[in-house]
Amino acid sequence: MAPGARDLRGTAWYHGQAFCSEGRPSRKPKPCAVRPALALCTNERSGRGVPVTPPDDPPEAFSLSLDVVGPTAVITLRGRIDLPAVTDFGTLLDQVIANGYSSMVLDLVALDSLADPGTSLIADAALRLADGGRQLSIRSPSIAIQRQLVADGLGELIRDEEFEPMTGVADDDPVALGARSATMPPSLTLLSSPGASALPTDDDLIDATLRLVVELARSTVGGADGVSVSLLRHGQLATVAASDQTVLDMDAQQYATGEGPCIDASTQGRWFHAPSLDVEDRWPEFTPRAMALGIRAILSSPLVAWGLPVGALNIYSHQPTAFATDDQRLAMKFAAEASAILSDAGVDATDDQRSERFQASLRSREVIAQAQGVLMERQGLTEDEAFTTLRIRSQEHGQTLRARAEEVTRSTRPSTPPSGSGSAGGEGSGTEEGDHRG
Amino acid sequence: MADVEADRFDRFRRDAGLTRGELWLRYFELGGMSSAFQMEAFLYGALTPSPHDHDVLAHALNERFVELGGNHPVPYVEDVEPV
Repeated sequence: MAPGARDLRGTAWYHGQAFCSEGRPSRKPKPCAVRPALALCTNERSGRGVPVTPPDDPPEAFSLSLDVVGPTAVITLRGRIDLPAVTDFGTLLDQVIANGYSSMVLDLVALDSLADPGTSLIADAALRLADGGRQLSIRSPSIAIQRQLVADGLGELIRDEEFEPMTGVADDDPVALGARSATMPPSLTLLSSPGASALPTDDDLIDATLRLVVELARSTVGGADGVSVSLLRHGQLATVAASDQTVLDMDAQQYATGEGPCIDASTQGRWFHAPSLDVEDRWPEFTPRAMALGIRAILSSPLVAWGLPVGALNIYSHQPTAFATDDQRLAMKFAAEASAILSDAGVDATDDQRSERFQASLRSREVIAQAQGVLMERQGLTEDEAFTTLRIRSQEHGQTLRARAEEVTRSTRPSTPPSGSGSAGGEGSGTEEGDHRG
Repeated sequence: MADVEADRFDRFRRDAGLTRGELWLRYFELGGMSSAFQMEAFLYGALTPSPHDHDVLAHALNERFVELGGNHPVPYVEDVEPV
């Protein structure tokens, strides 16, 4: 496929090993202890010659990736698909079939080996697609894989002709944010393209991808008994993917009581961990209802698209303190990946919201610049030193830099009229910005 | 300047689940002065950011990691090279 010609709205990668983000940056990501371990990573847009590669690809790993090219779903298999990996492959096939793509292509160019049940899965998928008048084709298998496929009666599925990819339309060029009126949102452009009528809607694609995230999170996060994703759509929070009935009930109880970690994470864009509901007091109405469902621990990680909280990834356990540090990291990783998928898809970010976001960014810059000015004046710092001071103090106080900057600028107001801000140096006791000269 | 492998920033960006566009917006929000195109060049190591740009970018990423329940994994200039 030509670079730059991919529609990557729904692209996701799966690796045969999970990687935890380490607290210290100097270390390489290392495999987690969980098994079967899978990590999900969104792909990069390939627009500017950026290589489309998974972040880490150890030789032992397999990966499955899903691209959507017009009405065609392209699944790329890489590495060695062993028995545990075949299960994930089957899940992916099921999801793609359920989503109604008019055709499916399996790209095997980088596949080294395929465990036996894999060919049965492919045969089964081909039959199911054929029932619905759809088709499956296989591209570029190695000679060995080709033999295996032919031996299993799948030879006729192998086709090597190029198919016509749709031109990629999405572009995350942020410069366009401020002046988006001239450009249609990518999703609209795509949906209104001639011949695109067979495309599933954006919401369908997103939901299918989120179902995969839920499935992967449930099978890889230690202690997870159930996982759901709730999303704000049209101002309403709703569960769009759930691994089981209990988690659906848990979410429903949160919507009913108007409180709970999922609601807080979705609306505040922060992470909420209730390690033990027995001693939880933040959600007095919801907590007993969750306990009645047998739930003892909940981890809700925010999903953020374009800087706006849009939902949460919720994981529950029947055991208190079920989520170890590594599991929390893994949950964070899944939430980050789901957020990137949502950002790519432009979920719930209308032009108005994006413009609002841009305005908020401008206000934030202004506040930070003012605070830097105050510190430069008070402490004789340079601009960069003032930034460093703000940053260090904000970290020490667990605040955002913007919140810290607001405090600093507020500290000048009570005794100083706006026009006389130059004389604020004398009343710096409101904040404790230390000297941070280089 | 910080001795980091070429695409270290971009790895953090991916781990944080941010598009390049969103990261630039966050960087801009904190007072970053470089264009989106320059910032991308920082991400891939094609351009070396000034110490200040390095810290603004690192902080934009770190604030995102905090939102996700993490710590401050992205090093600042002073972590890499004492000032």
